[in-house]
Amino acid sequence: MISEEINDMEIASPSVVSKAARDFAAALVETPQFKEFEQASQALRHDENAQRTMEAYQAKQMSLRALLMLNAVPAEEQAELERLRQAFMDEPAVSAYFQAQSEITVMCQAAADLLSKHLGLSFAAACGPGCC
Amino acid sequence: MDTSNLILPPALLEATENLALTLLASEPVVAYHRAKAHLESDLEARDLLERFSTAQRDLRQRQGNGGVMQADMDRLRTLQNAVKSNRVIMDYAETQQAAIAYLPEVNQEISQLIGVDFASLAGAASC
Repeated sequence: MISEEINDMEIASPSVVSKAARDFAAALVETPQFKEFEQASQALRHDENAQRTMEAYQAKQMSLRALLMLNAVPAEEQAELERLRQAFMDEPAVSAYFQAQSEITVMCQAAADLLSKHLGLSFAAACGPGCC
Repeated sequence: MDTSNLILPPALLEATENLALTLLASEPVVAYHRAKAHLESDLEARDLLERFSTAQRDLRQRQGNGGVMQADMDRLRTLQNAVKSNRVIMDYAETQQAAIAYLPEVNQEISQLIGVDFASLAGAASC
């Protein structure tokens, strides 16, 4: 039998959905985790040392792209790439950013899981690459 | 176990619940749940869908073993045509796609306001 609840449901207009989305966004940005994440992102963007180590790591990665695809990077080049990656990860601004990102991710996942549970559809999967 | 209550601060939990209930009442999601309820109450359609899924699975297995016969292909094609002409199944599939296509619009609205892609933070990168 088709649930009467569904048939009797009052349709929410696009403006009502939009307001609920805006309220959700406003509540999310007010959390300490989001504020921390924003602060860490900004600090990372303005940290010259972190930017330098990131550029060095990315440049090395780019120069080895073809060999990386073939899994044929010579051992010494692989060691140099790892050294540059570690230098990047050791930068305080970078580790602070990843820590903040990890915390906001847990929160966003919990919110998306709750949305998915109610909807019977995976919110995050529906918004995967190519559809957003 | 649902950990949302433990992880989300009260104001965010309330806003998430409200968004979920509002989305649940949005036209594409209501249409999807109506079609889903129709499908669940239609034994014939469910049986057809089950037979189609089984035939697909069998064919994939046989392809792996190199033992696909023309009769298997014909059987699958017949079931596929039956599925395509079943209004209840097609309504379910079409409304599900429409509901899935609607969610990125909501995500975009949230993302514009928070300045970062919400779905990516929520784990869409794995999709």
